Amino acid sequence: MRFPRLVLLHREVKSPARCRSARSAMIALAVVLQTAISPIPSILEPRATAQEGAAPEGAAQAQGPASAAPPPESLSPESPASSSGTPASANNRRGMTFSSAEEMLAEVLKGQVPQSLEQLAAMERQQQQVATLATACTVSVQIGRSQGCGVIITPDGYVLTAAHVAMRTGLRATLMLSDGRRVRARTLGLNRQVDAGLIKIDGDVDSAGKPWPHATLGTSTGLRQGMWCIAMGHPGGYDTDRGIVARVGRILAVRPGALVTDCALIGGDSGGPLFNLQGELIGIHSRIGNDVADNLHVPIDHYDRTWERLARSEAWGFLPGFRPVIGVRGTENSPRAEIQSVAPGSAAESVGLRPGDVIQRFGNVEISDFSSLQKAVSDTMPGEQVELRVQRGEEILRMMIEIGRDPRS
Amino acid sequence: MKPRRPDAARWLFLLAWILAGLAASPETSALLAQDAEEVSLSERFPFRVSSRRDSGQMIALVKPLCVEAGKSTVQIYSNNKPVALGLVVDSAGLVVTKRSELSGDPIRVRLPDDRMVNARVAAVRREDDLALLKADATDLVAAKLDTSEPGVGHFLVTVGRNGRPIHIGAVSVGSRPIAATGRLGIQLENNAEGLATVNLVLPDSGASAAGIQLGDRIVAIDGKPSGGSAEVVAFLRNFFPGESIRLTIARDGNTVEINAQMREFSVMLESENDARLNGPRNSRLSGFDAVLQHDTVLEPDQCGGPLVDSQGRIVGLNIARAGRVVSFALPNRIVQPLVEAMIQEAQSVNP
Repeated sequence: MRFPRLVLLHREVKSPARCRSARSAMIALAVVLQTAISPIPSILEPRATAQEGAAPEGAAQAQGPASAAPPPESLSPESPASSSGTPASANNRRGMTFSSAEEMLAEVLKGQVPQSLEQLAAMERQQQQVATLATACTVSVQIGRSQGCGVIITPDGYVLTAAHVAMRTGLRATLMLSDGRRVRARTLGLNRQVDAGLIKIDGDVDSAGKPWPHATLGTSTGLRQGMWCIAMGHPGGYDTDRGIVARVGRILAVRPGALVTDCALIGGDSGGPLFNLQGELIGIHSRIGNDVADNLHVPIDHYDRTWERLARSEAWGFLPGFRPVIGVRGTENSPRAEIQSVAPGSAAESVGLRPGDVIQRFGNVEISDFSSLQKAVSDTMPGEQVELRVQRGEEILRMMIEIGRDPRS
Repeated sequence: MKPRRPDAARWLFLLAWILAGLAASPETSALLAQDAEEVSLSERFPFRVSSRRDSGQMIALVKPLCVEAGKSTVQIYSNNKPVALGLVVDSAGLVVTKRSELSGDPIRVRLPDDRMVNARVAAVRREDDLALLKADATDLVAAKLDTSEPGVGHFLVTVGRNGRPIHIGAVSVGSRPIAATGRLGIQLENNAEGLATVNLVLPDSGASAAGIQLGDRIVAIDGKPSGGSAEVVAFLRNFFPGESIRLTIARDGNTVEINAQMREFSVMLESENDARLNGPRNSRLSGFDAVLQHDTVLEPDQCGGPLVDSQGRIVGLNIARAGRVVSFALPNRIVQPLVEAMIQEAQSVNP
């Protein structure tokens, strides 16, 4: 038997997770296997301009005002609080996770193996420091029944995550900070092509009026095979008794759309941060293959390149191989979403949709014509359960459909 | 190696996927996985291994850290299969190891000098899954345990027999207790006579594997009359995952004796995909006074032996491979007092 190779890393929340009886065990099983991801009303709310957003900083660049069209490695102003006129040194880097490495680690930072046990000890001091600092800005993200991670990157509460964790624009999310704080947030844009998503915490400061703890942004330009990295996240879901889980590994491959590392990830880690040895954010966890060394992360520069669109709550593209389909055809300019044909073996066929059926509602989206149906489907993920309201003759039918995946995508 | 766009595109194109926790659609995924596997074998494997964190260079670097611990590290065989590593804690042949892997006789120990000797269980501490073996040898090197605890992000090296570094990992989470989460996998109700009666058997449970059926009435557990369902459930709480329980069952007018194993509840419930991603694990993954969670990729039979830190100090014993991202080690602040007590017990029974 052959198995699928790659798995997205968010997790269905098992509400009765710690069941005491076998019956509640069965309930937990049912939740995982059958229940839909609760659709949440989609309200598009463009919330921010690009200037409020990301502030990736080049390794040797001084702080200063943004140029008109910042290239990925340059910086844009982060917030009014960010100091101007301070000397540009490593210690003045914005964000709370940066930790300057000792001189003797210069070659290790470039991806070399430590040459002595002294270097090994220096590395682990660095790893401990980064893991400790990164804990404050690594959050658990819960949207409906789905759980993943995110990382706060600005004092006013912008959070990077994976697109498949954010799911859709304008969704309500609950973030859990490592100190136990639970905060409300809303999803902004999604670049599904690379699995990059953006979330904004509701308040620009926390309840005590303080800025949010946030990570130091690095760049994925110049990353090389062999470089050491530290992954943080909530594998298996948020666990109060355990907290955040750190993993240390190396970059095994650098591709335009993904970094591959041997920092082992599993469901629940999606959207969590990958740092370099100096605590700069270089990637966001996305998906895994069967091999324990198949762990893929979104390179951080993708967020910078498309920051304006993400901040404007745009959603576009699909991850190659993950294009959502239900398997129906219709006419584009008809006033209703009437099905003309149903593809054999499709999700639509398996729930019994027929030619002539009119789809009136898809999840929480009212469907006016076939193109609005196409748009609604493209806003889902393969495997997601969505409730349909369908008109068949005089009858109104309701059915749950599991979104399929276009094998040609 | 430079990033190569066409390869990346091709690779991504071939990826099958499922939602974590949801059942896959077997037809489509089977089709895609086949191609993906070919890509994996032909292109990706060799360069990846050379830059992994436990590459040959890294293993060579940490080898000196394992020398001292290696003098006391042994391989444990049960029923002629290698099941665990162990650590010599007394030169008179006393070895500590992971108890729940010692399921079959004979128990034998491969010593650091390659001798294979017989051993017997001299003491156990079920609460932390430790056993003390008395091996037929007297001239061994006892390990020195260090009770300092490495911090999150610190390197850990799992030491094999002869001081071979097995794998390198790092501390993921500081030490914490793990409550026992074993279940037999049945639900009970009381029948008219007040006897515990099975009304649900979970698939993949020890109960289902042992052939427990709906309607079975539990008369006795380990030979003791068991009473109603509340009593049975309370009694089962005393067992750890991996342990077997003898049930006396009344079924269709007959009485049957059944041995059923307590299993990890989370493993029972996980999807096929999660099971595959998590890989092989030990049968006991919970019920420890404290564990240090680390990310070393271990095989289940590589537990029971020592972990050293970046100074070469033995800081704990690997006690479970618990999932794709999880290995558990008992820190020495737990191991040391238990070992001392077991040594005393072994010596007082057999002076």
